[in-house]
Parts: sequence; C-alpha cells; structure tokens
Amino acid sequence: MRTILSAFFTFALLAGSSAATAQPGPIKIGAILPLTGSGASYGVWMKGGAEMAAEEINAAGGIAGRKLEVIYEDHAADASKAVNAMRRLVEVEKVPFSLTSYSAPTLAIQPIAVQNKVVIMNGGGQSDNLANKDYLYNNIPVVSNEVGVIADWLAKEKKLASAVLIVANDEAGRNAAKTFRERYGAAGGKVLAEEQVALDATDFRAQLAKVKARGGDLLFISSYGRNVAIIADQARELGITLPMAGTSWILVPEVMKSKGAEGILTTRLPFDPNSAFAKKFKDKYKTDAGFFAVQYYSATMIFAKAAQEAIKKSGGALNGEGVKNAIESIRAFDTISGKLVFQANHGAVMDIEVGTLKGGKVEVEKIIKAAP
Amino acid sequence: MDLFLQLAATGLVVGSLYVLCALGWGLIYGTTLHFHVAHGAVFTLAAYFAYAGQKLLGLPLAVAVIGAIVAAAVSGMLIDLFIYQPLERRGAIRTTLFIASLGLLTLIENLLAIIFTPDPLRMDVGWLADAVQLGPVFLTRLHLVSMTTAILLFLALMVFLKHSRWGQAIRAVSSSPEMARTVGIDLRRVHLLTYAVGSAISAPAGILIAMDVGVEPYRGTTFVLLASVAVIMGGIGSIPGALLGALFLALLENLGVWKIPSEWQSTISFGVFLVFIVVRPRGFFGRKIQSAEI
Repeated sequence: MRTILSAFFTFALLAGSSAATAQPGPIKIGAILPLTGSGASYGVWMKGGAEMAAEEINAAGGIAGRKLEVIYEDHAADASKAVNAMRRLVEVEKVPFSLTSYSAPTLAIQPIAVQNKVVIMNGGGQSDNLANKDYLYNNIPVVSNEVGVIADWLAKEKKLASAVLIVANDEAGRNAAKTFRERYGAAGGKVLAEEQVALDATDFRAQLAKVKARGGDLLFISSYGRNVAIIADQARELGITLPMAGTSWILVPEVMKSKGAEGILTTRLPFDPNSAFAKKFKDKYKTDAGFFAVQYYSATMIFAKAAQEAIKKSGGALNGEGVKNAIESIRAFDTISGKLVFQANHGAVMDIEVGTLKGGKVEVEKIIKAAP
Repeated sequence: MDLFLQLAATGLVVGSLYVLCALGWGLIYGTTLHFHVAHGAVFTLAAYFAYAGQKLLGLPLAVAVIGAIVAAAVSGMLIDLFIYQPLERRGAIRTTLFIASLGLLTLIENLLAIIFTPDPLRMDVGWLADAVQLGPVFLTRLHLVSMTTAILLFLALMVFLKHSRWGQAIRAVSSSPEMARTVGIDLRRVHLLTYAVGSAISAPAGILIAMDVGVEPYRGTTFVLLASVAVIMGGIGSIPGALLGALFLALLENLGVWKIPSEWQSTISFGVFLVFIVVRPRGFFGRKIQSAEI
C-alpha cells in the first residue's frame, strides 16, 4: 500500500513540476492580509491596493510578458493562520514572493521565507523586531520612529507630563508601548500605569476603569484596528476626559467616524486623499482609500520592478533569491508617494505628520521630515 | 474606592448577562440533564436574529428584539425536537448527546461566520448608548436595561416555576423524572417547554451584548462555558444558585482586575472554579454533581 501511495505521490509531484516548467504561466505571488477580524478595514485597503497594482501591471503587458496573479490569504491577525497560509503559498502555489502584513504574523512566517528563499514584503506591520531580517523587506518605517515623534511632541509641545497606557497584548502593541515608555520618559514624561488588553476583545471597561483611577494627563492607546473605536467610546462612557493619543495605526474608518475618538492626537504617515490613486480607488471600491492602500499598491509595484530585473538577469527564470538580489541592487524605487529607499535594516523611512483627529480628518499640525 | 465601585458596577452589568445565560442553561440542564452546549449557539442566534431584524429587515429595535427572543425560543425547541429527542429514543447516552450538542454549536457558529463574516457587527441603539453618571460610577443606559432585565426575568422565572401548572411540571421532572412520568407527566412535552423557556431567558443576554459591543459568531462558546461554571458553582437544579454563581463569577473577574493585571481575568475565574469543584462540589446550594452527569 505504501509503495503504491508513494508512487502515486511521486507521479503527482512530477506531473506538477513538469506542468510548471513546460509553459511559463502567470507569475503567482501571495498576499497574506487581515481580511477578517478586527483589522478587516486594513485588509480592504491592502487587498484593493495590490489588486489595482496587479491590474495596471497586467494591462501594461505584465512582467516580462507574463501575467501577474496575486493569491490572497487571510491571517485574521493570527500568526498561526499566517504560517498555514505561507506554507500553502510556498508548497502548493510555489510563489517567489509574498506580500505580508502585521507584526506577529510577519515574524512568524519569516523563517519559512528564509528556508524556502521566498521574499516577503511587509507594508503594514511596524514592530521594531521586523527590521534586519533576511528575506523580509518593510516598505514602511518601524513604529519606534512614529512613537518617538509623538512621545516627544506630547511631552514637550503639548505639555502632557504623565500618561496611562492601554496596550494590545500582541507583538505590535507591546513593542509600541515599550518604545513609548522609553521616548516619553526621555522627553520628561512619566508613565503612571499600563493595562494590557486582548486585541480581539470588545469590552475594555475594567481595564479603562483601572487606568482612570491612576489619573494622569493623557491616555495613550497602543493598539490598532477597529477596536480602538470601542476603546475610545468606552473610555468616554466611563467619564475619562483625558486627551487620548495613538499612532497612524488607528486611522481606520471605524475610528475616524467614532464619537469617542474625536480629538485624538495621532501621527500620520504621508497620504494624500486627493491624489489620482485615491480617486481611482474610491471609484473602484466605493470606499475611501487610506495610507495602507498606497502601501500595498507600491509594494506590488516594487515586486514587479524587481522581478523584471531578476528575469533579465537570469535570462527567464524567476525565483525568490533573484527577487532579493534585484531589490538589493536597485534599492531606490520610484513609488506614487515618492522615492522609497530601502535602508540597510531592510526598512523604509518616511516623513511623519502629527495632528488631531477632527470630524473624520486629521488636522496636521507639524511634519517631521525623514532623516535622509 | 471609586475604582472599586466602578469595577463592581461593571461586574454587575457583565454579571447580569451571565445570569441570563446561566438561568437558561441551568434550567435546561437541571430539568433534562442534557449538557446543552449548543445553548451558546441559541444565544448567538438570538443576537443575529435581532441584528438581521433591525439592519436587514429595517424593523424598529423593540420589534426586532421581541422577534429575536421568539425565534431563539423556537430554535431551542427545534434542537430538542430534531436532535436530542431522536437520539434519546434510540437510547443514546448523555455523552453522545453532549458530543452532538458540541457539533451543533460548532456548525451553527461557523455557518453564522460564513453568512455574516466573523467580524463584529454593530447595531444602532440610539440614546440607549448614552452614558449615565451615578456618583463616581459611569454606566450606559443599556447597562441599566441589562441589569433590570436580569432582575425581572429572574423573578418571572421563579414565579413561573412556583405558581404555574407548567412550571410545576418542570420542577417535578427536574426533581424526579421517574416520579413525574408515573403521575402522568409527558416528559417530551416538558422538555420542549423547558427548551423554549430556557432559550427565551438567555436570548436577551445575547441581544444585549450585541447592542453593547456588537454581534460576533463565536461569543456563545465563552458564555455557555461560563454559564455551566456558574450553574455548577451555584448548585445544579437551583435557580437562585445559578444567579448567585453567575454574579459571583462576574464580580470576581472584574474586581480581580483591581489588584491583579487584567490579562489574568479568565485565569482567576477558572482557578476559583477548580477550587470550588474540589472543595465544595455541590456548589452554593444544590445537588452534588455526579461524575457521570454530562
């Protein structure tokens, strides 16, 4: 029985591989995104951005004459789901490249990427631990840049001297909170209390009541996704009148529309809601584009450029190693939001804006230019 | 002190939802001895019925809520009629029923996730969401409604069981099914009635939490687990015991946060439950649980 089975599998494998080499079909890449769960709003943007890029690439003749096909997988903010998705992409779809998102899922799939020589590009996750990882490129700055900027701004310019923290109990939330403590402390601020909450929780009242009892001048929310709207609403319900602050993570439609989050102080990464891209996105998906739509559009375009280069170099074949070498040799990519230069740590730098959320829009007060 | 009061108030609000879930589950378990974990699915269905009534059919909130409670009661009866009764007729043991119930819970939750997506859906509750300040304590109007609902339904259930003919039949079956059968009570009809009443009592908990923080497909599992813990802590077969057990759990979870970091919430409740089941297995005031009772 065993021999029959193994013979069958060998045959299936051979059949599969010969089919793959015989005719250069489309170039398949993966996209592991938060399509459901608390971060589904990011997923709409990320998937839309990648989709638009793929359509434009294919309309212009594809990559070296081959069509680009993006295979979307859902990680629902769960690292183990991301690992399953990555394994499927690597073993079944045999992709040379995948878009990825969120800190914990990206960190979880990075070893698989190295093992199988598949490049992963993250345009959303911002944990500092994402830097300096083989086969992982981040076309977004790590969060310490943003948290550093807002911690400074809150302590020095807004004169908010003490803070209480609500922290999502995951890689991204804890990492941002750690940086906040360091940078806010260095700027003369004092963190009075910190409460951790589950990212997928919906009732934060006990934790909020606890930080409320500690007083302070500021509530810093180190979390992301639509649950920030619930945290803000419940904080106001509990009579917390402190100013609240967060990073660009919080800028999803649910939060921007929520009553509780009105007036929240936040960073923002450069995004022009009146750009041609934003208009096209809105026409196509009937919803406003956001920063992350541009990010995944750009990441897909960066892949196309790198893949073109890799194919040129190899004379036809395309694999992850080739894509990686191409990214390393090109380094600076033209994107719709300006020139993106991958740093030695495999990350990007961007201008960071700070401002206040008012009537569903961020009123920018200050722009901190990226260090060249 | 303000923090203590706020946490206690939040505990009572959460507790009132646990109470409703535990009353329904405890009534069903105490009467039929079915370890009806699919009660969690009925609780979740109620929330989706209310959501669909308001958002998809455009019914006024009150109509949607009442419709959802009726639909949940019918769902509970259908589960008994088409799943448990046929199994019992074929002589299935309680463990089989439990497995069937668990399967049904998973099936319904996943179907709901496919139909409505796993994302929380929010209902419009208008002025019910407004905050009210009572001294140092902040609650929303909806929270006051939750507490009132729990108290009223608890009292109504007590009166129903003590003073109505059907209630007395349920109590008779609960205390001795054999004896009840001997005096001519139709067990199947009493079971159906118990499912209707038990489901209708727990349905408002699902709906209220949906109105507060959103409708989600998988919340029922947590709630039915907590309800069973509350019922066992309170004493199986005791309605006031279920109330007390549920309030005790909710207060423990919320007041625990006072001195212990909040990520330990569920550890506290299940830790205390373990102590309970070892040290005082009959709960606050109930029958001793037997090893074979599920």
